[in-house]
Amino acid sequence: MNAGPGLGASDKLTFLLALVPFLMDHDRISVTDVSEHFRVSPDRVRDAVNLIAVSGIPGETRQYLHGDLFDIHWDEFETNDVIVLTHLVAIDDSPRFSAREAAALIAGLQYLSSLPENADVDAIATLMAKLTRSASAAPSQVAVSGTDARSSIAVVQAAVRDGVQIEFDYLNARGEHESRRVDPWRIQSVDRDWYLRGWCHLREAARTFRLDRMSDLHATDVPTSPRSADTLLPENLFEGSASDLDVTVELPTSAVPLLADYAPHGSAGGKGDRVRRTLRVAHFHGLKRLVTGLAGVVEVVDPAEARAVVRDWAAAGVARYDETEPTVGGE
Amino acid sequence: MSSTIEKNSRVSVEERLFSLVLALIATEIGLTKADILSTVQGYRQRYLPGGDNASLERQFERDKDDIRELGIPLEVVEQQGEPGSNHHLRYRIPKGLYELPADVTFTPDELMLLKLAATVWREGSLSAESQRAMTKLHALGIDSSDPVLGYSPSLRVREASFEPLSKAMDRGQVVAFLYLKPGEAAAHRRQVEPRAVVLHDGRWHLFGTDQDAAATRTYLLSRIVGPVVSVPGALFVEHGVGQGQEALSELEALWTANIAVVSAEPGSDAAVRLSKRRVAGERPADPDASNPHLHQPLHLHYTDLNVLADELAGYGPEVLVRSPDSLRAAVRSRLISVRDAHTDSGVSAHPQAATGADS
Repeated sequence: MNAGPGLGASDKLTFLLALVPFLMDHDRISVTDVSEHFRVSPDRVRDAVNLIAVSGIPGETRQYLHGDLFDIHWDEFETNDVIVLTHLVAIDDSPRFSAREAAALIAGLQYLSSLPENADVDAIATLMAKLTRSASAAPSQVAVSGTDARSSIAVVQAAVRDGVQIEFDYLNARGEHESRRVDPWRIQSVDRDWYLRGWCHLREAARTFRLDRMSDLHATDVPTSPRSADTLLPENLFEGSASDLDVTVELPTSAVPLLADYAPHGSAGGKGDRVRRTLRVAHFHGLKRLVTGLAGVVEVVDPAEARAVVRDWAAAGVARYDETEPTVGGE
Repeated sequence: MSSTIEKNSRVSVEERLFSLVLALIATEIGLTKADILSTVQGYRQRYLPGGDNASLERQFERDKDDIRELGIPLEVVEQQGEPGSNHHLRYRIPKGLYELPADVTFTPDELMLLKLAATVWREGSLSAESQRAMTKLHALGIDSSDPVLGYSPSLRVREASFEPLSKAMDRGQVVAFLYLKPGEAAAHRRQVEPRAVVLHDGRWHLFGTDQDAAATRTYLLSRIVGPVVSVPGALFVEHGVGQGQEALSELEALWTANIAVVSAEPGSDAAVRLSKRRVAGERPADPDASNPHLHQPLHLHYTDLNVLADELAGYGPEVLVRSPDSLRAAVRSRLISVRDAHTDSGVSAHPQAATGADS
C-alpha cells in the first residue's frame, strides 16, 4: 500500500472510517469524484476501497466469512473505476471529532472571527457550538484572539476582490520610504503579522509587503493586469540573502532559543554561563533593534562596527529621555 | 521467521486498526482481550493458542491508545461478579457515542468556514488534527461554498513547547520547564498545572497553576527556554471547560486596562508600525490617529509591561514613552544598559550619537 509520504496509520484509519458512510450515501460514484471530494489522490481512494472490500468482522464463526465482510461491485470497480458498495458491516456514520481535532478547528475559527471578512460573530459561535457537541470529549483548551491592521486588511481585500491596483507609502526593512503601486494578489498572515503578495510596478517584480509597514494605503480605479502563470506564489515568504552579515553575540545559554529566527551557530568564547553565538543578519538597521529589544540579555561582541551601531542607537534613545527630563540626567 | 509471522506482515497497521474498530462496534456485550487477539484480523495471525502472547498484548494496548486519540470512545466493561480481574474485562465501542450526533448538520457556508479554519494551521499537530477533522466532515458529503478569494490566514506554532504542553493539558499532567521571565536576565524552573494554551495579541500564552506559588500564572511560550518535561507521577484534576476563554478574558481585561502613551518620530519604523495596533472597543480607526506622518501621541494597550518595554526599547530614539512612569523608567533603563554594555571601557558614548536617529 502506498498512500504517499507522511501519512500515518491514524490518518489512513480516519480516511477508511469516513469513506464508508460517504460511499453508503452514494449508490454509485467514480473514484475521481471521491478523490476530488476528499482531496486525496485517486490511488489513495483505490487502496482504501481495496482494503474496505476485504474487511469486516470475525462474525459468529470467527472466520471472517463472506457475509461478515464489506463487498463491492468488483466489475464496476475494476473496469469502470466506479465504486458501488453492495454489503455493509458494523458502521454507517462518520466518527465524532476527538477533543484535539475539535479544538484545532475551533481555534482556527477564533482566529478567522477576528478578521474583518468574518465579522459574522453569531454564525461562528453557532459553528463552534456544533463542533463542541460533535466531539467525543470536551475540546482541548486552545484559544485564539485578536489581530492588528484590520483596516489595511479590509482595504487590500476589497481591492483583490475588485481587481484594482492599490497605492501606498512603504517603509522597507532598511528604513527607506518609497511610494508603491501594486497589483494585489493575496493577503497572507503569519500569526500577528500580515503580508501582501503582489506585482510591484516600481520594481516590476513579484514582491511581499508587510501591512504594518504601509501608510496612506488606498485603492485606485486602475484595473490590475492579467496575471501570468509563472508568478505562482512561493510557499516561503522569506528568503535569505547573499549580502547577510555575520555578527557575534554573547548571551546566557538559556536565552539562545530567543534568537532561533536568526539561525545562531556556535562560536568560541563566553564566560560563566554565557555563550557566544554567531548570527546572520541582513543589515545593522535590524540588528540594533533586535539587540536593544533584548536589553540585559544579548550583547554584541563582534564586529566593533556593529557594537558601535547598537551603542549609538541606545544612547540616542537615552538622550531623548534626558532631554525631556533634565533633572534626572546620567545614571 | 515462521510462516505465521510472514503471513502477518501482509496485514497493514491500518487494516488491523480498522478491523479492531469494526469488531468492537459490532459487539454489544464487548469482547475480551483473548477474543480480540485470537479472532481479529491482524492479531489472530500472530496469536499463539495457549502460548506467550505478551508482545501481542502490548500491541493491543498501543492500538487502544491510538484509537482513543482519534476520538473513538473505546470502553472497558468490567464483568459482573469478577471485579478487578483483568482477564474478564470486555472492550467495546458504543455506536451512539462513536457516531456524529444525527442532529448536527453543516451548511455549505459553514463547511467553507471550517475549511478555511483548518488551513489556518500549516504545521505541527494542530495541522494534522484539523486535517483529520476535515476528513470526518467530508464523510457527510456536503459540498462547500466557494472559498473567499485572495485570502490566506495562517498561524504558526513555532514554539517547541506547544506540543508537549497541549498533550500534558489533555492528560492532566503536571509539567516543569525553564522560564526566562521578561525583564529578568536568568531563567528559573517552574512547575505548572497547564490549564489552557491561548494566543492573545499575537503571542502564545500558557495559562496554569504555578505549584510553587500555588496561584494562577500566565507564561509566554516564547520565553520557555528549555524542554517541557512531565513531572513523573504528578497528575492534577482538570479544571473543566472554559479555561481557554477564561484565560483570554483575563488577558483581554488586562490589555484593555493598560494603556501606554508614547510619541513616535513621524515617518519612522515605530510610527508606521505602532500606529497599526489594535484599538480597544473595536471602534473604527480614526484616520488621523493612524497617520504615521502626524506628530501625535499613540495610545498602546498592553498585557505585560516588561514585554512592551522590550519592544519599545528596540525602537531606540524613534519612541519616547510619556506614560505610565513605570514603563518610561523600564524603557530608559533598558536603553542605558544596552548603551553601557556596548561602550568599551575608557571610551564614552559618542556625543553626536544622540542626533543619529536613523543611522
